[in-house]
Amino acid sequence: MAVAFAQSDSFVAGLEAFNKGDYPQAEHRLRASRDPRARAFLALTLAATNRCSEAERDLAAAFGGPKNNTGRLAGLALAQCQMTASKWDEAGATLAKMTAAYPADADVLYLSARLHMRAWNDVIYQLYKTNAASFRVNQISGEILETQGQFAAAAAEYRKAIEKNPDALNLHFRLGRALLMSSHAPETLDAALKEFEIELGRNPRDAVAHYQVAQVLLAKDQAKEATAELERALELNPDFPEALIALGKLRVDAKRNDEAIALLSKAVKLMPRSESAHYNLMIAYRNAGRMGDARREKAEIDRLQKVPEGEFTEFLKKLGEKQPEK
Amino acid sequence: MKLLGGLLLLAAAGGGVAEFHDIAESAGLTHVFPNGGMVTKEYIIETTGSGVAFIDYDNDGLADAFVISGDGAPSRLYHNEGGKFRDVSEAMGVTRGGWGQGACAGDYDNDGFTDLFVTYWGQNVLYRNEGGKRFRDVTKEVGLAQDRVRYNTGCAFFDYDRDGRLDLFVANYLKFSYEETPKPGANPYCWYLQMPVNCGPRGLPFDRNILYHATAKGTFEDVSVKSGVAEPNQNYCLGALAGDFDGDGWPDIFVACDQTPSLLFMNQHDGTFSEEALLRGVALNDDGKAMSGMGATTADFNHSGALSIFRTNFSDERETFYINRGKGEFQDATLGLGMAHNTRFVGWGCTFLDFDNDGWPDLLLVNGHVFPEVERKKLDIHFKDRRILYRNLGNGKFEDVSERGGPAVLDVHSSRGVAVADIDNDGVVEVLINNQGERPSLWRQTSKPAGNWALVRLVGTVSNRSAIGAKIRLTAGGMTQYAEVRSGGGYISQNDLRQHFGLGAAKKIDRLEIEWPNGRKQELADQEANRVITVTEVR
Repeated sequence: MAVAFAQSDSFVAGLEAFNKGDYPQAEHRLRASRDPRARAFLALTLAATNRCSEAERDLAAAFGGPKNNTGRLAGLALAQCQMTASKWDEAGATLAKMTAAYPADADVLYLSARLHMRAWNDVIYQLYKTNAASFRVNQISGEILETQGQFAAAAAEYRKAIEKNPDALNLHFRLGRALLMSSHAPETLDAALKEFEIELGRNPRDAVAHYQVAQVLLAKDQAKEATAELERALELNPDFPEALIALGKLRVDAKRNDEAIALLSKAVKLMPRSESAHYNLMIAYRNAGRMGDARREKAEIDRLQKVPEGEFTEFLKKLGEKQPEK
Repeated sequence: MKLLGGLLLLAAAGGGVAEFHDIAESAGLTHVFPNGGMVTKEYIIETTGSGVAFIDYDNDGLADAFVISGDGAPSRLYHNEGGKFRDVSEAMGVTRGGWGQGACAGDYDNDGFTDLFVTYWGQNVLYRNEGGKRFRDVTKEVGLAQDRVRYNTGCAFFDYDRDGRLDLFVANYLKFSYEETPKPGANPYCWYLQMPVNCGPRGLPFDRNILYHATAKGTFEDVSVKSGVAEPNQNYCLGALAGDFDGDGWPDIFVACDQTPSLLFMNQHDGTFSEEALLRGVALNDDGKAMSGMGATTADFNHSGALSIFRTNFSDERETFYINRGKGEFQDATLGLGMAHNTRFVGWGCTFLDFDNDGWPDLLLVNGHVFPEVERKKLDIHFKDRRILYRNLGNGKFEDVSERGGPAVLDVHSSRGVAVADIDNDGVVEVLINNQGERPSLWRQTSKPAGNWALVRLVGTVSNRSAIGAKIRLTAGGMTQYAEVRSGGGYISQNDLRQHFGLGAAKKIDRLEIEWPNGRKQELADQEANRVITVTEVR
């Protein structure tokens, strides 16, 4: 009995030291313990002190055991160890299991993001190193710049890519999009339209390019021409939700409510979380006098637009509940 | 007559359509009105102020001017002395400082003199007009003092229960305090274009709107909860716009809201309101997205007999023009009206005005970013920006004529409130604009437009004395125009209560029908044009 207590005391002391970040003491105590739980925490201690090779076996065992916080910590440490050792496939597999077990866990999502970022960086490095003169380098540079909100610079990269490979698909489309995002000037509409039309010259069956042409035409107050482009986009891809919504809106404007309802109902089925689809379907129902259906869509919009709980901290909620200054 | 109207339109097309010049300096409007930082703004309170008002406080037939200030200077009242303005703030007892926001006018005590309500972050103030000689702060004695610091914004007097007394709606933006509001960069809601900026509105707590009912004792009672306007309370509300949007004879309230759905409180005729913006089509844009609504204005722009609604929004958003399909059902028609291209502006003040007197209400909006810091980015969005003038072509389309509207339209300022009045009663409307950290702008057209006109002044006797909520249907030259007398509106500002109508080539008004707020109708026929027409309610 006394021995059991001593062992248990050693585990508890090891755990306390681990929680305090005193890893040498934790290792000492946990190694002395015969408590079966000590192995997992010893492995975590070893991982925390850069001795992953010693730790991985026990981390894997703890991670594969019961779903609890120790298992979660072991899984995170295991994935971290695998990433440190550049075992990308193994880390990917571990994190896939972690994501399945803890889908909304910030630590799991963070590690997954780091893994993908690392993989992305490696591939990009290879592309730049081995194909520095390729149009693909400019294309990917443009796409990166777009994500950073640098649309004018992105457009410049797409232009370079087009110069290198004038026949490559999608470059004029991306250029048109970047132009639209780079400036609020009305002239930009024409410049973007030209690029989308060139894209369509290379690939007349590009439904998305037809859709973009329609968006520009709508902004230029050319609804009739935009309608034709959207109809063409839907011929090419009948399940294109954004085009269904855009054409549905035009049918509403034209008071062709039945056609609008058909288009927008299909959009809702394809994208049940689309506020735009539900909103325009609500308007179409309302205009058609189908108020019950309109109210059903309104309820769905209310649900989709509900402010998420926890957006505002408690102290902010209380703010303002004070007496006026005397 | 329709043909003649068309010829007038053609004659104006091509060259300049108007010649607006800023005459504020020479007219005596030289005071600077601060509203927080002009290079950086640390708090959201520096971004939303302030409005302006035209109100003829002494009944001399000339619209006087009121300009609201942010912290650091008092708001000021100017007497109109025939086109020149004299600062009478001290003499008239209008001296409050603090973070002034908006204003709305109405004769709440029906004594024949227009009173003035001013909203603040802090305590609002009701200035009772004592015979046109002085204003007295009666806020506490009439029950309008608030029990805590509130961020009051738009306001409107309106007689929602049609008892002949003006009630009062006050929009609230959010809960703000210097002590507890995070500093720029403190959280994701405090960043813009990779720059730390003042926080909000997202991330700051909501507040609720307020409805005050006017009692027979001359006081106001807070009926926000029992009337239904206290809900929903998850909206950042700015401009308040009263109008009978469904044509049922009872005034409703539209509220432009920032980054959250706008609200439409429909009058239920029993002292309560039902919020119906979403189903009626004015909560969101046509993508089902909430915009950053700032100001809102309304007019029967297409002579349909129903009030459509226009709302200003943030940069990278379109302005939103909701056409009233009748009975208060709206549809976002911004694209089809020819208003798709102005997406770089942060819009605030807006008002319909028939600047060319052709009988079709045109539209003016004034702009200015909330973040002065954007200037560092050298983009095409600006803290100080020009204005936008749309000309109503009378065919369901608007034309952007900003470049042809005269130099004042192209002047750059960080503008907020705008109001219109014909300050010299010559049939051409003037424009007053509040510019942050600068003197206001006062626009006048250098040449008179060709069209004829009428200014209609209504005096209630059974209805409220200001005739707020009265409907005017004016038929001249083969077209019938419709307008309502309105308190507040635009971006937290007040237009002259007299209604200006352009008549095109028509030299007389065939029919002038007044529908008073209590529903009774009164009609005049064969009225001469080009004058102020005063109509007093027949008992």
